[in-house]
Amino acid sequence: MITIEHVHKRRGRATVLTDVGFTARPGRVTGFLGPNGAGKSSTLRILLGLDRAQRGTALVAGRPYAQWRRPLTVVGALLDGSGAHRSRTGRAHLRWVAASNGLPRSRVDEVLDLVDLRAAAGKRVGTYSLGMGRRLGLAAALLGEPAVLVLDEPVNGLDAGGIRWMREFLRRRAAQGATVLLSSHLMGELAETVDDVVVIDRGRIIAAGTLAEVTGDHPTLEDAYFALTSTGTRGPW
Amino acid sequence: MVRAELLKLAGLPAVWVAVALSLLLPPLVVLLNSRTVAPGADTGFLELTVGVLGPLVLGTVAAGSEYRGGQIATSLLCVPSRLRLLAAKTGAVVLSVAVTAAVSAVVTLAVAGVLTGGAGPRIAGVVGYWVLDGLLAYGITLLTRSGVLPLTVLIVNSTVVSVSYLLSKVTPLAAYLPDLAGAQMFIEPRDPAVDLTPVTAGLVMGAWVAALLAVAAYVFGRRDA
Repeated sequence: MITIEHVHKRRGRATVLTDVGFTARPGRVTGFLGPNGAGKSSTLRILLGLDRAQRGTALVAGRPYAQWRRPLTVVGALLDGSGAHRSRTGRAHLRWVAASNGLPRSRVDEVLDLVDLRAAAGKRVGTYSLGMGRRLGLAAALLGEPAVLVLDEPVNGLDAGGIRWMREFLRRRAAQGATVLLSSHLMGELAETVDDVVVIDRGRIIAAGTLAEVTGDHPTLEDAYFALTSTGTRGPW
Repeated sequence: MVRAELLKLAGLPAVWVAVALSLLLPPLVVLLNSRTVAPGADTGFLELTVGVLGPLVLGTVAAGSEYRGGQIATSLLCVPSRLRLLAAKTGAVVLSVAVTAAVSAVVTLAVAGVLTGGAGPRIAGVVGYWVLDGLLAYGITLLTRSGVLPLTVLIVNSTVVSVSYLLSKVTPLAAYLPDLAGAQMFIEPRDPAVDLTPVTAGLVMGAWVAALLAVAAYVFGRRDA
């Protein structure tokens, strides 16, 4: 369960988030939708304790992220990129991540297998493709077998097979009772993956509900999205 | 958690370059000097001041590597308390530099033929100086989030032109600068503007480093990752 309430964030003079609040429930995949720069990443970074909000609360499984002593056993997070230093090997990266949360070393090979990265585990992260970097990031997120997953644009950089794999993987996790929150600016991908939808635009939540509720009378989620957000009126660029 | 930070250091090739510099540079300089410089009270120890390059690189890399490839986000996801993360990281830097310094000091003094039973306190001085200099680079890099500036300034200052040394020609107060004071933990300066005992020297340099780390911890604790 993820609960975000009344989050306000300013950066310098710019207002990044205004009164952002929503929940993501166990057993469901929640899609966090919005154009680039709408505040998706900022919201997720505040949820994960990386950035600080001026006001508001963001709880993961009932507590602020920063209060978990071994957070990887509670939440798995995938942010942009791999989250690994270029000159480290993939395996060395996962080893220190595991050690930081007291996780057994055997988990490293297990997650490497899970994301199909075992063969490249001894190569330096700098040599990885974009998709491999993302898979390494996902492997790190899964080390602690968390019941909550927070993923920022998880299909970015993945090829068609990777996207399909990710979709099925997340659906399976939710079916097992996990809370899955993922952000995306790609509507088509999302409609096939999510149960619930939260739409953010210019730092404000403008719609939230089940996929059917948010889609409403529009033919597709994509149509609903363009009707709801500024993207439609402004043109795509 | 210190173990995780040690693993982080061990996974970076630049750290091993730093360790190699620490271990090889001083004995090498001893061998070169032995042909030209007459042995004196500081033989072996003077060469060890050059080896401080290693800790400077190690401290810089320990902090700067967090800001490459988005590693800082991963680090804070693993250990969300910034103070605990910093404490573990600082511990790992201290530990790795101290071990390297002790080994390098023993090897260098042995090569110089001045490794005696009485060298213990001065070796401790070398270890203290290397650890504090490493922490100096580490603290500055935490603030700048990139190693380029601190590494350039500190390496130039400790090898090519010592700005601190030049300053000491202008004002005796320069003797209280961290590098000049710190070196007095184990060598006798030739023309001391202010002569510090090894313990006082350690306290002076320690105070500089403590102040710097306090500022770095404050900034690191408050800014967005």
